[in-house]
Amino acid sequence: MTTDTSATGNILEIKNLTKQYPGFLLDSISLSIPKGSIMGLIGENGAGKSTTIKSALGLIRKDSGTITFWGQELSEARQLKEDIGVVFDSINFYETLTPAKTGNVLAASYKQWNSGQYKNYLERFKLPADEEIKTFSKGMKTKLCIAAALSHAPKLLILDEATSGLDPVMRDDILDVFLEFVQDEEHSILMSSHISTDLEKVADYIAFIHKGKLLFCKTKDELRYRYGIMRCRTEEFHNMDKSDILAYRKEDYQWNVLVADKERAKRKYKAAVIDNATIDDILLLYVKGEQIK
Amino acid sequence: MKGLILKDLYNISHNAKSMLFILLFFAVIFLPSSGAQGYTFTCALLCTMMIVTTFSFDEYSNWAPYALIMPVSRENLVAGKYIVLAIFSVIGTLFGLLVGTIGTRIAGAFVSVQEPAALPLGLTAIASLALSTTFGGISIPLTFRFGPEKGRLLVLVSFFIPSIICYAIYRSLLVLGIALTDDLITMFLYCSPILALVWNFVMYRISCSILAGKEF
Repeated sequence: MTTDTSATGNILEIKNLTKQYPGFLLDSISLSIPKGSIMGLIGENGAGKSTTIKSALGLIRKDSGTITFWGQELSEARQLKEDIGVVFDSINFYETLTPAKTGNVLAASYKQWNSGQYKNYLERFKLPADEEIKTFSKGMKTKLCIAAALSHAPKLLILDEATSGLDPVMRDDILDVFLEFVQDEEHSILMSSHISTDLEKVADYIAFIHKGKLLFCKTKDELRYRYGIMRCRTEEFHNMDKSDILAYRKEDYQWNVLVADKERAKRKYKAAVIDNATIDDILLLYVKGEQIK
Repeated sequence: MKGLILKDLYNISHNAKSMLFILLFFAVIFLPSSGAQGYTFTCALLCTMMIVTTFSFDEYSNWAPYALIMPVSRENLVAGKYIVLAIFSVIGTLFGLLVGTIGTRIAGAFVSVQEPAALPLGLTAIASLALSTTFGGISIPLTFRFGPEKGRLLVLVSFFIPSIICYAIYRSLLVLGIALTDDLITMFLYCSPILALVWNFVMYRISCSILAGKEF
């Protein structure tokens, strides 16, 4: 299927997405995924990652905002679903089905279904075609979902906690498949995950949602090479320029402070120790720490 | 939509053996007393009730959100269920006709069995298709609205509502002084597929509006 790329070159654009539930507000989320990139969506449980993904896919109704795939709303262009592969955190096929029968169901559903490619993925993932899904491990089920998602020639892959519950070896295999997928510069991936090491390996961009708000959406390299964790004493913390503090957390003998430019902070606060910040560090400081109001 | 139907047929095929056993058991029970007509109706009804079981499979596997990320609409999802319902009804009716006809001949060799005449049997088939899809048709919006667990209980409702409507029509005819003759009943049975189509279209629209309001 031929799909027009939006004028901006983004595969997916979310603008001011708002959705309210009792006790939760997904507050004006805006993000876009350029072609040929992997965007990791991180945040604590209940932050709004799945709500964002489900809104994008039309599984829940948004209160306001626009969501476009290749410049078109999904509700107005159902055929775009041919180009979107989705993997949820659990398998959605009944356990008495086999991969072969699953393939038949999907072949009857997608015009772009490629049976040869599906068979290749089953062989590559060592999935027996004629065994019932109920005999599969969690990892095998995930691989089957990924094989199914990739076999209708999607241009965008959306993964909602798809790698959770897998052992590191299996996760590594699957991440390699994702990296292969985006080798073609026309393909992109949006993946929400709790496993920050996965995102550090494959993601180009990291979008961080916290309590329903998008705190940032930055390139992974900017986070890795520019963000830092400053370790300082109470006196140094109080003397800090508050505009340098993104988030902070007091521990027994020191203050941990997240800064957006570690080299600048090193020059400015010579007495402090400044370490590189991992995605986990950033997430923890934002979620468990405090921010200057 | 073909994929949705195929998925339901694959899922339910797992229950085919137990359903076959039940239908054969019912043949032994019903054929000597009710003949092929009653048995055909029972088979059609039992098979269409399996539509609620397909909802159970869907709920267990969290199928609905996955179905909706495929290139199908919510209306397709509902239409798929009605097509599966019709398939179940046809299978039940054909099975009932075949086993009923053969069974009564076999049973007739041993006990006194009411032999089905050709026309009533054909008419029974038409009525079985119509009535079973009417009963099954109401269970679809109920199950979309309340889920398969409560839906199973509400299957009883799907028997009561059409029965109450039929009874109300019967009483109205009596009030209007129209006698319910054999000819009138026969005409009603011949018209029953049209009534079933209208009924199921209304149920389909209700199901669509229920599903349109659902979030997954």
